[in-house]
Amino acid sequence: MTYLSRIRINPLRAQSRKLLANPRAMHSAVLHGVPGDATGERILWRLDTDNPHRPLLYALTQTKPDWSHLIENAGWPGADGEHADIADYRRLLDKLDSGHRYAFRVTASPVQNTKTPLKSTAAQVARAEAQAQQAEAQRPRTRSLRLGHRTAAAQLSWFLDRTQKWGFQIPSTEFEPQLPGIELDESAPEILISARQRLNFGHPDRDNMGRSRVTIHTATFEGHLEITDRERFTATLLAGIGPSKAYGCGLLTLAPIPSA
Amino acid sequence: MTASTDTSILLLRLAAPLQSWGENSKFNRRETRTEPTKSGVVGLLAAALGLERGADLSTLTGLAMGVRTDQPGTLLRDFHTVSDYRGQPLKQSGVNAKGIQRPTTPAKYTHVTHRYYLQDAAFLVGLAGPPDTVRELAAAVKRPAFPLALGRRSCPPTQPILAGTPASELLTALSSHPWQANTAARAGHLRGTKPAFVHLPVTIDDPAGGETRQDVPITFGLHDRRYMQRRVRHTTVQIPTGFPEPDAAETGSSVPPVGHDPFSLLDW
Repeated sequence: MTYLSRIRINPLRAQSRKLLANPRAMHSAVLHGVPGDATGERILWRLDTDNPHRPLLYALTQTKPDWSHLIENAGWPGADGEHADIADYRRLLDKLDSGHRYAFRVTASPVQNTKTPLKSTAAQVARAEAQAQQAEAQRPRTRSLRLGHRTAAAQLSWFLDRTQKWGFQIPSTEFEPQLPGIELDESAPEILISARQRLNFGHPDRDNMGRSRVTIHTATFEGHLEITDRERFTATLLAGIGPSKAYGCGLLTLAPIPSA
Repeated sequence: MTASTDTSILLLRLAAPLQSWGENSKFNRRETRTEPTKSGVVGLLAAALGLERGADLSTLTGLAMGVRTDQPGTLLRDFHTVSDYRGQPLKQSGVNAKGIQRPTTPAKYTHVTHRYYLQDAAFLVGLAGPPDTVRELAAAVKRPAFPLALGRRSCPPTQPILAGTPASELLTALSSHPWQANTAARAGHLRGTKPAFVHLPVTIDDPAGGETRQDVPITFGLHDRRYMQRRVRHTTVQIPTGFPEPDAAETGSSVPPVGHDPFSLLDW
């Protein structure tokens, strides 16, 4: 079973300040919504701040969660309305099929891997020097360095290059000229980057300016998609896309395409 | 007047940081009207068609014109002084019997001139005429032969100028095109209110109109610029602002719509 939850966050609570400022703290709070061993399942979450005064937390969990701790510490525990909506995700997964079109939103962390960065950080220089000290034969096979894509163009092409692997494609824009006289020669994909952020955070409870700090570049992609491969797409929905999934990246959600 | 099926309207959106529509300017004081003049619009179309200075303008002046003021803009005074760069006195305005322009006596070194502009204005201009003419003009405005300008060569338009070629009456076309004001001008016009409609002033050619304008060009020839009169009348048109009508029944829930609602697919 899979469940999608939506939790109202009250940004004026002291606890929610901590959660909103630090993805690591928010991840911890989300994991604690699951009674079992949360590290064993792929929990995805995303913070939607369309209205910054009323942020919404979306979370996708394999087991049925309980958000009482979030509501009590970072919500409106005594207020009217649904504090946390929890819906069975299977209803959506059963409906999906190739050729269907949906509106989507995903906050992802586009990255590239390289062995030769243009501007190395101090830690990267130290690591390269340590490797150079070792003898050629003993040198272990190391991973490339993972660098965040920092421009909107690179982030967009990162996304568009991978849609086939994820089981969908981005249809072309159905362009309606708002201003007569402007004519487009070629159609663009129906996608836009609605928000981009550079997040830099450490452990929420420790004063740590050193190695334990995390820096990620996130981009929120919105647009329309068309499912091309049902199996792959279902796997993408459940497993998320891209890295930094513990920090609020990778949760792809669907909505009906709004009618014009 | 021809039936509506025989006329087509050329709609032009004239908006720019600066515009200047002089009608009766003399000498060192170059004024501007508060809305485009027929001579200015005819000149713009003639430039689009690539007509020469002395060309026959009867096709263009025969079009009935209507101007809707979407964004009135504000008046800008540009103060100029003009001198001879060699430090010599300026010439007299006339010539002597030998046909020579003498220096001014007593010597005058500086002309003081004032040029007036409309800044940050936007107009919707409709020109009614035969469909063939309108089609030809629309094509010319899209690909003009000479650079287009709003009254003066220093006032290039913000594009696009062409706002459509509907086949209807002139006033219908002017009242059915959306409001062209920008966000700041809208805010200034509405002043925090949210009316369903705004009323925009329109000046339209009408043989029975009560006001005259001396701005119909006979020719733009350099040596014989002459203008005829036309009669206009003033009216207003009602344009929707996009805000709901106050009397309209409230529909839907009180929950404001969100940009992306994944739960709408989940039947929760």
